[in-house]
Amino acid sequence: MSAAGTLALAAVESFGATGPSLPAGPLLAATAESVGAGPAFIGEGPAFIGEGADWEFVFRNADYLGVGALLTIGLTVASILLGFLVGFPAGAVEVYGDGYLKRAVNVAGIVLRGTPIVVILIVMYFVVGVPQINLGVVSISSAMTAGILGLGLRSAAYQSQIFRATLSSVDAGQLEAGRSIGLSRFEAVRYVVVPQALRRSIPGFQNEFTIVLKDTSIVFAIGLAELLTRGYDLFSEQTTAVLEVILFISAIYFVLTFTTNRALDYLGRHYAIPEGESA
Amino acid sequence: MASATRPATVRERVAASDRSIGRLLLVAAGALFWGWLLVSWVNRWLGGVLVPIGEPLVSAAAVEATLAALPGLAAYAADAAFVVELTPQLARGTWLTVVITAVSLVVGFVIAVPLAVARVYGRFSAWLSLAYTELLRGTPLLAQLFVLYYGLNLASYVPGALSGVFARGVVWVAILGFTLNGAAYQAEYIRGALESVEEGQITAGRAIGLSKLETIYHVVLPQGLRYAIPSWTNEFVYLIKYSSLAAFITVPELYYRADQVASETFRYTLIFVVTGVTYLALVLTASKLMGRVEEAVAIPGLGVEREE
Amino acid sequence: MSDGDFLRVTDVSKWYGDERVLHDVSFEMDRGDVTVLIGPSGSGKSTMLRCVNRLAEAQEGSIRLDGEEVLSPDLDVDELRREVGMVFQGFNLFAHLTAVGNVALGPRRVLGLSEADARERAEEQLDRVGLADQLDSYPAELSGGQQQRVGIARALAMEPKLMLFDEPTSALDPELIGEVLEAMHGLVDEGMTMLVVTHEMSFAREVADEVVFLDEGHVVERGPPDQLFERPEKERTGRFLERIASHD
Repeated sequence: MSAAGTLALAAVESFGATGPSLPAGPLLAATAESVGAGPAFIGEGPAFIGEGADWEFVFRNADYLGVGALLTIGLTVASILLGFLVGFPAGAVEVYGDGYLKRAVNVAGIVLRGTPIVVILIVMYFVVGVPQINLGVVSISSAMTAGILGLGLRSAAYQSQIFRATLSSVDAGQLEAGRSIGLSRFEAVRYVVVPQALRRSIPGFQNEFTIVLKDTSIVFAIGLAELLTRGYDLFSEQTTAVLEVILFISAIYFVLTFTTNRALDYLGRHYAIPEGESA
Repeated sequence: MASATRPATVRERVAASDRSIGRLLLVAAGALFWGWLLVSWVNRWLGGVLVPIGEPLVSAAAVEATLAALPGLAAYAADAAFVVELTPQLARGTWLTVVITAVSLVVGFVIAVPLAVARVYGRFSAWLSLAYTELLRGTPLLAQLFVLYYGLNLASYVPGALSGVFARGVVWVAILGFTLNGAAYQAEYIRGALESVEEGQITAGRAIGLSKLETIYHVVLPQGLRYAIPSWTNEFVYLIKYSSLAAFITVPELYYRADQVASETFRYTLIFVVTGVTYLALVLTASKLMGRVEEAVAIPGLGVEREE
Repeated sequence: MSDGDFLRVTDVSKWYGDERVLHDVSFEMDRGDVTVLIGPSGSGKSTMLRCVNRLAEAQEGSIRLDGEEVLSPDLDVDELRREVGMVFQGFNLFAHLTAVGNVALGPRRVLGLSEADARERAEEQLDRVGLADQLDSYPAELSGGQQQRVGIARALAMEPKLMLFDEPTSALDPELIGEVLEAMHGLVDEGMTMLVVTHEMSFAREVADEVVFLDEGHVVERGPPDQLFERPEKERTGRFLERIASHD
């Protein structure tokens, strides 16, 4: 894969089957050409919102954007899950582990949290060179795999911090009490500390969920045809509708983050442990 | 009293010296990084007094020759030379990254404080502030940059006085985008901090005859802003990293420069690892810096005790 | 008894929503008087105190301070609070300022003194409450008793004509109460006009010119301390005093 060449080539490749015709050439290079006078395709002066034809164009392509939104959701869910599967043990290692393992987890976390997500995605895509995955019925493009890996591992680094904080916030007496009724250390953590810590993790988790959701837009860099990329394609095609398209997809993002937040609010209340004033 | 100075075990002493060596290496790396950046920038501003503009500070050929002569390092000589040749581009890009981050952070803060105060103490203005923060925090930053650049075509409206500051007017569009976005996040952090200031502090301020605004200014803000420092550090780090998105509206900052070289040379691995390390160095510097600020303005009994 | 030419509280009533917390409360004070409000918790005594500097708003009645109507809507509330000092149960020291900073803030920002003058005045006031050696300590570095004395100095620095004390010793460990009462005794000796809500009956007995007993928002009984404590006229007063006494 790393021989594939430029970003945009990769982008075009992953579009291939489903996407509309895309301006050829590297994405960044394409935008760079228009430097100076602003984007070349908006030469006609200020854009007007509310041109009937432009909104009609947006709605005519709503299903195209809808598929993008589904991809965005799928990418978010997969990344969050990967982040949880890796991040939870990582957080536990940071609290209960020691020695080199703890150090390694710590350093990996610092690197992932200190690097821009766009760099992580590019590295995943070109450096790791993730292959296309064939599952018989569906095949997952290599851009999708890179996107999930990049967003997922970065999320793991953040989720580990959430779990580290909540695990260590559970009173040490809880662990002792667990040991005192004969549970092993692992069992005490598993049955006493983790259930409490997970509930306390919901607010941090909520935050993380919306961050991942919004950052799926950055897989634009590796040309994965999610919501923002599809929006970009559309307004490249009909350049008078630029603002309409972006506002429309922004609204979709907003609805997604808003409903996710409310849903997690509900979850948080549902699983809340009754607490006294002093707790 | 003798037990107070229990001799350290061998293991502890090794661990301690491990740590201090690690710290020393980190400080050395930091000094090297910032020394390289500052000298590169100064060289550029002064029109290439040390080395011609666009040339690395040390000759790539010399580095390659030196490493090739060292047993064990010879295999990396060509890569090292490539990285050295890359450095002028990286230094140029990093300059814009640093400027965009710093300006957006500071201006964003200036907007965020009234936003947060309105949210906590206002009535109608609280709703406006809430709508603003929810909207900007609820949509992707990249989409916001697209609105400003592609949607509103702001790059062609940069005032003449400002357009001369940077080589490209679009830098201002990026700064505007990050400022507006960052203000929403900072306002949220500051709001949380203001709300953690006790009610009694306000009552006491009012009781000595300060007006409501004076109480907020002299009593609530000095405490609330101290509480806000740790999350402000997060925001600083966030801006450094997400300033890379400016590349997608053609701002030639660090990521953009790296991508340019990569699409010419196809050496993605090396280039983006080096780029990642550069961002990491900026991020670590920022959080160390903020740690210092936090210590400098710390007041006994105020704010959370940090666990070490 | 006072003729009330300094502070005259007449038929003050207050509601929180539907709940009436003050019922036609009346009492008077002369300049230099010490009046102590006593009563069980929830009796409205702290609320009454706060109505005097408008930290709480009374809906009915009249409070005349030095000839001016406190409850008038045209009154400059900040001006009023400049002239009426207040000491809180929970100290409420500004957590980000040193002892001097706490005391100097009002003189500096409200009275407009210069930095140096404000500091000088703060040092004088801290000396007055016996804290000359803790000028630059932050609240978190002081004991509760010391914090409360800073609170008193902070109120005094505004040169108030009336001092309000809202249970100034209730949040203190028993061994720290003495130093705060001592500082208050000092003020009494200087002739300060003081309206005090407290459970310290011995303090009331020693310094009060009048004691007002409030219960459920009503003034049940009031009079000079020796009369009210030794020969209470109302049964409720007697019961309350017994309960307090049995706790001492």
